[in-house]
Amino acid sequence: MKTPAVIKLVTAGAKDRKQFVAGSAVALIAAAFLLMLPGFAGHATISLFSRIFILAVFGMSYDILRGFTGVINLGHAVFFGSGTYLAGILFLRLDPTPGTLLLAVIVTVVYCSAAAFIMGKIAFRGGGVIACAMITLALGEIVRHLAETWRDVTMGADGLTFPIPYMFRDRLLFYYYALLFLILMVIVLRRFVLSPTGRVLLAIRENEQRAIFLGYNTTTYKMISLQVGGISAGLSGVMFALLTRFANTELLTIQQTLNALLVTIVGGTGTLYGAIVGTAFVQLIQHYLLTLRDVHPVFTRWLLFFGSIYILVVLYMPAGIVGAYRQLADLLSSRNKKKIA
Amino acid sequence: MSTPLIQTRQLTISFGAHKAVNNVSIEIEKDIFTTIIGPNGAGKTTLFNLISGLLRPTGGQVLFKGTDITHLSPLQRVALGMGRSFQLTNVFPALTVQENVRLALQAQARIGYRIFADHRKFRQLNEKTGLLLEQVLLQEKKNFLAASLTHGEQRKLELAMVLALDPEVLLLDEPTAGMALEEVPAMFELLDRTKKVTDKTIVLIEHKMDLVTGLSDQVIVLVNGSVLAQGSPPEVAANPAVLAAYLGGGVLSEACA
Repeated sequence: MKTPAVIKLVTAGAKDRKQFVAGSAVALIAAAFLLMLPGFAGHATISLFSRIFILAVFGMSYDILRGFTGVINLGHAVFFGSGTYLAGILFLRLDPTPGTLLLAVIVTVVYCSAAAFIMGKIAFRGGGVIACAMITLALGEIVRHLAETWRDVTMGADGLTFPIPYMFRDRLLFYYYALLFLILMVIVLRRFVLSPTGRVLLAIRENEQRAIFLGYNTTTYKMISLQVGGISAGLSGVMFALLTRFANTELLTIQQTLNALLVTIVGGTGTLYGAIVGTAFVQLIQHYLLTLRDVHPVFTRWLLFFGSIYILVVLYMPAGIVGAYRQLADLLSSRNKKKIA
Repeated sequence: MSTPLIQTRQLTISFGAHKAVNNVSIEIEKDIFTTIIGPNGAGKTTLFNLISGLLRPTGGQVLFKGTDITHLSPLQRVALGMGRSFQLTNVFPALTVQENVRLALQAQARIGYRIFADHRKFRQLNEKTGLLLEQVLLQEKKNFLAASLTHGEQRKLELAMVLALDPEVLLLDEPTAGMALEEVPAMFELLDRTKKVTDKTIVLIEHKMDLVTGLSDQVIVLVNGSVLAQGSPPEVAANPAVLAAYLGGGVLSEACA
């Protein structure tokens, strides 16, 4: 039997329950695996996974904007990098204590909220998606340039090394902190996208003009989306500071933004979980391709292979890994239904 | 006489030298079913865009219940009670039929800023969504993605979305445009039912006069951006200017016969 390329004629009622059961099962297995991982994995793997957890939150924050609202923000790294810098600067100037960390979190939330407000006020001034992308790109570059030239505070291009609170220095313990952070952010962001507000964001992504004619003030909703995305990214930046104990201007570049874009595309945009899967996929591939350099020196050029894999994913899984999984599940359930009928 | 619900005064918009809508002054009374007809390019949709605020006129005024709304944004006009549908189908393609209507209802319910509530837990909205889908005969398709509906079904979905807004006036831009011929009567039946069930003022743009004579209380004929005739369907059909304009198999030929 030939099936159409895109299977979307799906009913939801029974699917919702099935999806919930399947989703819970996947989440439980993943949680069990991740909780036990430190039992048999080495230090390098544990650090790699801590990194994945933190960058996954950054990816999700980007998905809120691009995947759910349809806004392309090319300056998103500003929130992430600022979180890392703010935490680093505070640890360096004050004492590296849990109190300072709390202060860093508060300062980051306030800073990212203000930055998102300013960015949104400029970028959502009636221009289209492209105008928004260009304006956010320019704003991002301005912040990066400021960080590079303000050497007294940021150490410029040399980067900033800083101490962190004692309780976060243990890699194993930090692994669990990072996992907890990811789980908390998943719960919060999932609630957000399932809220009435989150649904309006989808409407804006689908057809902004129609959303306006339903009576939604779409600019306000986009501002909310940018607030949520910006603050989440900032918090992941603070966690990243605890992981690397180092900040440099690379964290503020468009490359950092594109990394988030990349993981959402690979994992599946507009799915939230796609960002987690995508981050794990990208980081693990990068890691294992690099370890292959002992086999053959060509693997030091891991980007070559990574690029090829990326193109294959985009060509054959345009909805990303999570999207492809859902399509497959839909396909199977609709076949079952036919058998019953 | 009471103030008309919608009124335009010398409404004009020009794109360069071309006057798409030229000096149009019309009045639409409350609870009246008005049909605007005219050939392609007569300026029907442009007039709708001016009334709903998508375009700003180069001259003249739009009044809603006697107040000047010429400079209000589309959003502000929706809040006043104007709901419109579009000539080209305009739904949320990758969302389900149910979600399309639910979003329209949610806009009315003003819960859009409750960022930590679950959208599925508003029972009243879900029930109302079901009723509206029943009204436009899309109940069975509620879990389908809007993009997977036939064109005719999408038009019905649009009608449900406009009805969900519970506006005082419904501006319907050619709800039968692009429909398969056999789907058209069902749509008009639906409009007829809507007219009877609700107490809404409906303004309809239509291409084919013969289809709407039974429905309309008032017909406005638009040609080259200007009002050619206005009145009850029989009056308009008998109007010599209209006859002259369409002599020789125009849009109105069937209605005039």
